[in-house]
Amino acid sequence: MRGALHAEWTKLRTLPSTWWLLPAVAALTVALGATATGSVSTDQCPSPAECHEDTVELCLTGVWLGQAAVAVLAVLAMSSEYGTGTIRVTLAAVPGRARVLAAKATVVTGAVVAAGTLAVLGSLLAGRLLLPGNGFGTAALSLTELPTLRAAAGSVLYLALIALLSLGTATVVRDTAGAITAVLGLLYAFPVVALMVADETWRERLQELAPSSAGLAVQATQNLDTLPIAPWPGLGVLAAWAGAALLAGAAMFRLRDA
Amino acid sequence: MEATVAATIQVRGLRKQFGQTVAVDDLSFTVHPGQVTGFVGPNGAGKSTTMRMLLGLDAPDAGSALIGGRPYASLRRPLTEVGALLDAAAVHPSRRGRDHLLWLAHTHGLPGRRVEQVLEQVGLATAARRRAGTYSLGMRQRLGIAAALLGDPPVLLLDEPVNGLDPEGIRWIRGFLRALAREGRAVLVSSHLMSELQDSADHLVVIGRGRLIADTPVAELLAAASGDRVALRTSARTDAMSLLAREGGTVAANGRDSLTVTGLPAERITALLGAAGVPFSEVGSDRATLEEAYMELTRDAAEFRAAEGFPADTARDGQELTS
Amino acid sequence: MTAPAVTPYRSPLPPARDGFPQLLRSEWTKARSVRRWSVTLLAAVVITVFVSLLSALSGSFDVNGSPPPPTKGPDGAPVTDSFPFVHQQLTGDGSITARVSPLTGREGHIAPWAKAGVIIKASTDAGAPYAAVMLTPAHGVRLQSDFTHDTAGSSASGAEPRWLRLTRSGSVLTASESADGKKWSEVGRATPAGLPRTVQAGLFAATPELVTVQRHFGSTSVGGGPSEVTASFDRITVDGDRGTVVDGDQGTGTWRQDRVGADPTRAAGSPDRSTRTSSAWTLTGSGDIGPLIPDADLTQRSLSGAQIGLIPLAALGVLFITAEYRRGMIRTTLTAGPRRGRMLAAKALVLAGIAFLTGLLAAVLSFLLAEPALRDNRPNPASYPEAALSDGPVLRAVLGTALLLAAVAVLALAVGALLRNTAAAVTLIVVVFVLPMVLLAGLPVDAAHWVMKVTPLAGFAVQQTTPRYDFVNTVCLPENSCYPQGPWTGLAVLCAYAAVALGLAMWRLRRRDA
Repeated sequence: MRGALHAEWTKLRTLPSTWWLLPAVAALTVALGATATGSVSTDQCPSPAECHEDTVELCLTGVWLGQAAVAVLAVLAMSSEYGTGTIRVTLAAVPGRARVLAAKATVVTGAVVAAGTLAVLGSLLAGRLLLPGNGFGTAALSLTELPTLRAAAGSVLYLALIALLSLGTATVVRDTAGAITAVLGLLYAFPVVALMVADETWRERLQELAPSSAGLAVQATQNLDTLPIAPWPGLGVLAAWAGAALLAGAAMFRLRDA
Repeated sequence: MEATVAATIQVRGLRKQFGQTVAVDDLSFTVHPGQVTGFVGPNGAGKSTTMRMLLGLDAPDAGSALIGGRPYASLRRPLTEVGALLDAAAVHPSRRGRDHLLWLAHTHGLPGRRVEQVLEQVGLATAARRRAGTYSLGMRQRLGIAAALLGDPPVLLLDEPVNGLDPEGIRWIRGFLRALAREGRAVLVSSHLMSELQDSADHLVVIGRGRLIADTPVAELLAAASGDRVALRTSARTDAMSLLAREGGTVAANGRDSLTVTGLPAERITALLGAAGVPFSEVGSDRATLEEAYMELTRDAAEFRAAEGFPADTARDGQELTS
Repeated sequence: MTAPAVTPYRSPLPPARDGFPQLLRSEWTKARSVRRWSVTLLAAVVITVFVSLLSALSGSFDVNGSPPPPTKGPDGAPVTDSFPFVHQQLTGDGSITARVSPLTGREGHIAPWAKAGVIIKASTDAGAPYAAVMLTPAHGVRLQSDFTHDTAGSSASGAEPRWLRLTRSGSVLTASESADGKKWSEVGRATPAGLPRTVQAGLFAATPELVTVQRHFGSTSVGGGPSEVTASFDRITVDGDRGTVVDGDQGTGTWRQDRVGADPTRAAGSPDRSTRTSSAWTLTGSGDIGPLIPDADLTQRSLSGAQIGLIPLAALGVLFITAEYRRGMIRTTLTAGPRRGRMLAAKALVLAGIAFLTGLLAAVLSFLLAEPALRDNRPNPASYPEAALSDGPVLRAVLGTALLLAAVAVLALAVGALLRNTAAAVTLIVVVFVLPMVLLAGLPVDAAHWVMKVTPLAGFAVQQTTPRYDFVNTVCLPENSCYPQGPWTGLAVLCAYAAVALGLAMWRLRRRDA
């Protein structure tokens, strides 16, 4: 297994796109988070003191964008092998297909966790710098606050699970464009459709099911009772999606000819 | 005169650089109508880059690459002036072979009938309605050649058309190219293997590392390399040697009963030996193969024999990595 | 070196044609000969219609008894027509003049569009044609008629009393204003529809409901309630045939005190109070006169599937060029047509045509299937304007949706040509168009409106059919898919993006080696 891990790390590290996408995860997340926190104002509150804005969640808005880079990275880790035929070389070197997939998952997840940690910490830092200028306090943004710690760690976990979901989907679909469209559809189009549904029960049900809107419930630190799904169960929904995608990928990987 | 120009390819002082790598360096040659001209050099010698510049795909850094006396980009109906096969794999796999030719034909307002004609010509008519993704490499080569023939052009540019063909296919393409040249077309065929051009090319343009090494008719090249050697088998070796040496030939013995004679034509040798009553058999000119001639040629090209050989990361490969 | 003496080849074929139509035909052949792309187009239609239907069919509202049908204006459109009305009968030509004191609200709150002034109305029925000249706290003097027409007069501050006059001559009503009752200036003329010979001329005061919006990340509460305005009138004169005094009540002279429409404050316990002192009237009232803006744009909602349907079309746009790069086919294309800019223009045109027709089919189907369903699921279907495909705004929204999808496809093509990579281009397009729709509801209104105005998303403004009136305060919230820009402006923003991207792609294609 060590050999397989090392091989997968070498492949990931030598793919030029990796060194575009990993920094992009952090940069996009921080950029969107900073834009959101920079634009928030107390105008729409009865008074600034009554503004119960969830500043932690606002700071971490960028994860919505950063996950696109994670998805592309994880999809490419698998689909580029199919696109170039490297997969046959890989399987000649490491015939155990489950081992190949496990090693890939480990390596990609590791890289994403590193970039995701950077992204989340950078977003919180940007929030601390920007929020006081808009009339908000920054006390909530400390990692010693338990809900904040949950939101921060949960966001990193979220990105890792998105990587696994993308990797699993890419193993099933194999084609880069197809896999990316499928993953992005799941992450972005699903919650948009859910929002459109007028029926409240159905809207909440769909939001509980959508991997992105359910998973990102983990970012909430206020008004938890108004969420369609609680933070940890929400992340659990995403974990179920990722697990299902990986299982399907593993099964297809074993059964199909390379 | 104008008609002659219309069916020629002229390359003058062509130069192209990709970053630090000089892919083509001061290259000049002319391809004439009525001939198959082989364009030879090892992988990465600059053949494909030259062809891409001829087709206006890459812009030369210096010099000109003209077809019928004009740069490609200024041709109004390029397919009727030049037919090109660059990469047989450049077909959308979900498109039927016929549809691939059809869109190409439509760029020039050519009728669907013309597509059927070229498909017939290259022997793909029966597979025309299959998706190109299901084609073998040889069928894709034929499809590419069909595409080159669509506009019935007087000039043809084929990059490695023999690649991936089976022996039967190779024989077919040789005959096909010769037939096209006989009609008065100028045909430029690139290859990295001299042997592939053995029986088809009339003229050779040899390049290495982007530079011209030779621009010569095949016959001359072979004659030069063979040096009109004649091989001869005889049981009376000593008699034959002394007789032929006396008549001005240079004779070398290379076996118990075989000789190689230089400086005398085969007819004269048989006449001399016959008159002197020396027994012999199997007189024949010992022609060098094109491969040998190529090696001979490249041995003379100093820059071609560089010690480090050719860099593996050639300009063409580098291009593909970035695209 | 001498060339061998050969006759160069001359093709016996008839001469070929070159030109833009040939390039177009060629690109069309390319597009139609890949079956997967046809499937993608079909998917775009199916997805658009399905998502539109999903948002329509699932709606079931709690209905607490059916609300009364809305008042209809002279043109049949729903209107708000509710105000205290002190009036006299006026037959034939004549005029009404009054001096209006500055307007005051309750507890210091006054709506910028509160209004009081003189009005001539066909009858006291709600929805009857009218013209009125009025003073507002923040928008000066206005002449309004038949609910949707508004003409600005002077920008009198509303802090000074203002003389207002409305003169009838045949079917034309002329409004004038004055600061001192001597020097008059004309505000404008109005021609209310079908004004009878005998009309009601009088005084009114009205104010739209107060609306308060509270938004937090992801949750919005729109609150509001009836508001009140008080205005005093004096120096009132009515010239012309005032008819006979019917009730003979000398205390109020020929003036009658009435109310047009239901009083929104009656439930709240503060009904209209109109008091008369010698020659002056003080009116305190609520209610409004103006078009009724429906709380939802049903046509726009019925086309909402396009937000998801754009994904397959964008993918197709990207693939239309990146598939050629990926396999090197672009070189074949460029050898057949060395004029690269024209090639890309032909591609864009063919793609735009295909996307437009696909989008049109999807939009028409979505509208026809989803709009009636949306309407039926509403508690008060009648308060939404009738919408048929042939109506101007609906036609604009449906055609606009098709144009929007065509522009998205062209933008995707340009991005594909610039990036030369399918994955990167598809990701970029999806993130640009779909991600904002998830986030807009949570962004502050200003930031959300900025996104809806300057990003390619602005194009979705073309799907809106609800008319906007400057003189009606509406709450434009991103979560209600309200775009701050006009329909065509929004579409123009998207088209500008597509055009610039295509221009860049052409420039790049010309300069770079293929």
